[in-house]
Amino acid sequence: MPANDSIPLALQWELTPGSGGVTKLSLRGELDSASTPTAWRELEKAFAGTKVTSLEIDASGLTACDSAGLSLLYFLSTGGMTPGATARMTGLGPELEHLFRSFSNEDFLALQDHEPACSSIVDDVGTATWNWLQDLREQIEFIGEVSMGIVTSIFIPRRMRWKEVIRVFEIAGVNALPIVSLLTFLVGMVIAFEAAQPLAQLGAQVFVANLLGLTMTRELGPVMAAIMLAGRSGSAFAAELGTMKVNEELNALQTMGLSPIQFLVVQRVVAGVLLAPVLTVFAMYAGLLGGIPVLLGLGFPLRMVLYQVQSGLHFSDLAEGLAKSIVFGGVVASVSCLRGLQTGEGPRAVGESTTRSVVSSILLIILSDAVFAAITYVLRK
Amino acid sequence: MSEDRKCLIEARDLTVGYGDRVVLERVNFKVYRGEVFAILGASGSGKSTLLKHLIGLHQPVSGDVLISGASLVNAEGDERLAILRKFGVLYQGGALFGSLSTVENVRLPLDEFTELPENAKDLIALSKLRLVGLESAATKLPADLSGGMQKRAGIARAIVMDPCVLFLDEPSAGLDPITSAGLDALIGELAKGLGITFVMVTHELASIFSVADRVVVLDPKARGIVAEGAPAWLRENAEQLWVRQFLNRKVA
Repeated sequence: MPANDSIPLALQWELTPGSGGVTKLSLRGELDSASTPTAWRELEKAFAGTKVTSLEIDASGLTACDSAGLSLLYFLSTGGMTPGATARMTGLGPELEHLFRSFSNEDFLALQDHEPACSSIVDDVGTATWNWLQDLREQIEFIGEVSMGIVTSIFIPRRMRWKEVIRVFEIAGVNALPIVSLLTFLVGMVIAFEAAQPLAQLGAQVFVANLLGLTMTRELGPVMAAIMLAGRSGSAFAAELGTMKVNEELNALQTMGLSPIQFLVVQRVVAGVLLAPVLTVFAMYAGLLGGIPVLLGLGFPLRMVLYQVQSGLHFSDLAEGLAKSIVFGGVVASVSCLRGLQTGEGPRAVGESTTRSVVSSILLIILSDAVFAAITYVLRK
Repeated sequence: MSEDRKCLIEARDLTVGYGDRVVLERVNFKVYRGEVFAILGASGSGKSTLLKHLIGLHQPVSGDVLISGASLVNAEGDERLAILRKFGVLYQGGALFGSLSTVENVRLPLDEFTELPENAKDLIALSKLRLVGLESAATKLPADLSGGMQKRAGIARAIVMDPCVLFLDEPSAGLDPITSAGLDALIGELAKGLGITFVMVTHELASIFSVADRVVVLDPKARGIVAEGAPAWLRENAEQLWVRQFLNRKVA
């Protein structure tokens, strides 16, 4: 006769086995969310290995019962712990009948049988390829629409909302200067430290200044500025446009006969193209400034460092860096706006489009940088 | 109104607002166990603000909210948690988590606050979904549900821990009249069948006349309650003409 009444508890139960596998379960006290988990475990143990053909559940001793308690009573009454046995329950108060009737074994079994749909690899590959092609098509259409928007703005200047361009310029440019400068200053310092030792072995430590000048001007200045633009401002463009889409503001623009690209994207792309070179110039200078203290620490006089930087750099290097930055600025602003406009439904969509904007921007920055490297290599030959 | 009935919620000299802006000043009312209590008022009268203070989302400027005699404003830690566990809240949009299926949404409080076995959690969640008529949508994602279904799923989640009181913020907002009437019927059933106390913020007169036992009317100019009573009684006998007009206009 298993029972749990050895110590006073909120819930007490008693199992009384009868002849022929007929068993009576009596419950007394409070069967609620606090006492049910323990009772559930104990009853499972008590029924394990016991041959029960018929279970009688007496709930008349219960002083309180909530949904958790009812779930246990229902599980018992449907033979959940005594498979194959018939079960009968008595003594459940009328006030609980309504709740008890809402339990359904049919729903429970349907849920247990439910398996999330699993697509095949062929489906996945096909879908991914189709999505990629769709995305490519949208990107090409987008480039066309933005180009048309910019051309329209040139011929019809009132279409260009310069206030918006200035606002974006301030938020994405002026406010980003401190962080861009700090990052590239530190990168310049790291490069100087890393290059100093191997070049010292060759007796060419003074050329750290040349290396710094070239890398910051041609490569790291534009790339670092563009990556900061993508992470800081491109993601903001995507989130802003994505939220506008979720809030149906883009639909409102379209029904007013306004193109979201002309109204929202062109300004951001123009601002991106204009501010990326500015950020890049700051990044170049900050990088050089970061390397100078290291070189001074190595014992080179400032005049010598500046002379080395000046003699190692040509106008074409600066032009290459600035040309890259213009392309990077356009790419980052465009792809971020595109991802924002592609935002789907629901609260997760904005987060997803923001992530996609940063990933796509950085990928395209590196891709365009590789193209630039190949072109300039051929031109320098 | 009989004072013999057990008071579940009491707003005592409650002044609420945002920063320096006071929205409602020295508001007093009681909600009795088992009744459907509605907070009515025009847009901008402070209905939702009052609700947010009643459920402890915001701290009032002054005054207190008593739940079964215990102060919600001054409660902290476990005491506050114990009070909050008596609540279920339905937000305007249902506030279902988009990444979880309907049944997982309903199960969530059970997963977080109980040690029940998995079978029990599923049985309870499914029983609540059946109560609101959504048993067939258990495995669907919220995005696949209509607005009315999302609200019903929100109610199922709100009642899964057997709360004493259910707060509803604009339950009929954005629903068609038929779905709205279905939701009203559900509120009535849950109030009678499960004995849940309802506090609902609404400006849907049809809902108020269909399910509310008592109503308070908020006036933005007075920054407080200007009328309190049974809706049908207020429609004929409210002191302020605009309250009578407000209640009569749409039900006439």
